Amino acid sequence: MIKTLFLTALTVAIAVAGGAASVWVALDTDLAFDTVKIGGWTAHPRRGTSDADPYARARFSREADLALGIGEGLVFTADHDANGDPLRLSCAYRIEGEMPAARFWTLHARLPDGTVVDRPGARPPALHSYALLREAGSDVATTISRHPVPGNWLAVAGSGHFVIRLTLYDTAIASSARVADIQLPRIRREDCDD
Amino acid sequence: MTRLFHAVLVGVLGAGIVHIAVLLMVPAYSQRDAWSILSERSNFYLPTRLDPAGEQPLIASLDPLFSAIACRFDLSDGVVRIHGAAGVPFWSISVYDRVGQNTFSFNDRSTDDSRLDFVVGTPVQMIDLRNALPTDFARSVFIEADVTEGIVVVRSFRPDESWSRIIDAFLNRINCTLHD
Repeated sequence: MIKTLFLTALTVAIAVAGGAASVWVALDTDLAFDTVKIGGWTAHPRRGTSDADPYARARFSREADLALGIGEGLVFTADHDANGDPLRLSCAYRIEGEMPAARFWTLHARLPDGTVVDRPGARPPALHSYALLREAGSDVATTISRHPVPGNWLAVAGSGHFVIRLTLYDTAIASSARVADIQLPRIRREDCDD
Repeated sequence: MTRLFHAVLVGVLGAGIVHIAVLLMVPAYSQRDAWSILSERSNFYLPTRLDPAGEQPLIASLDPLFSAIACRFDLSDGVVRIHGAAGVPFWSISVYDRVGQNTFSFNDRSTDDSRLDFVVGTPVQMIDLRNALPTDFARSVFIEADVTEGIVVVRSFRPDESWSRIIDAFLNRINCTLHD
């Protein structure tokens, strides 16, 4: 009798604790099925929609977020440069290359906790394609740095790691299945302060 | 020993079932979703700025070059109309369900003269509307949303600070009205 009770209690304990703990672990890791990786950039085209997988849905529901729809735009984030090193605010980064077709795009930097990176003085928080110095052809070149640079400059301040967020607005690639085939600019590290 | 093994095996199988059940329940029981943040701010059908002046944005992921309003609606009371003007560089509209999932989105190129005029309703309400179209809705774009409670968000691009007054005026003029 006691043995049966013990075995029943053990079964229930393993089921409840194991089930709850595995969900907790799964939601705290970066595990995501719907991820598009292009160069150092990642996007989750179905994030925050009803087409997302159950893990993405559960994680999304804890973030108090309202994601862009496919008719609005698509967000790409990068937390590594082209060499695979994490992005640091103490370094300057050059973002260079061709942008995918979109009506316009914006580019800004965020801290790992999601807040927009501070900037010196009254510099704008983000760059956008309507106010950009252009290279010959369709290539785009811009620098993210704490120090002023000629050309397109996204000014940042502070220290530590950060992520770059590129948002393409009104773009056909958001709704197309070939989102993985597009080209995005490369992130090249330049001088560092330390 | 066999019985212990049996108990552990059944426990692991049960853990799998609990895992799936908990996973599917998390969105419904989330206390920190966009809906709760908005309901602390304002009531149904009241447009609320997602980037209040002098505060952190209510939705952290909002693009720093964008301003936005959100209004909560309940389609069991009747259809909701989102109506505004034109004259900003870019606007987009999204319909979210109760748990914040994007179910429909459009941008200003979806309407012929860039005027913001949308009516959101359930499939059944849409059939009723088609049978007797109110004259107010003659130029509206209809969004059929299979939701009861939900959130409408209108975002507008602010290329630089000189646009702030125009964008603010555009967002402040947006009405979110119930038509029952």
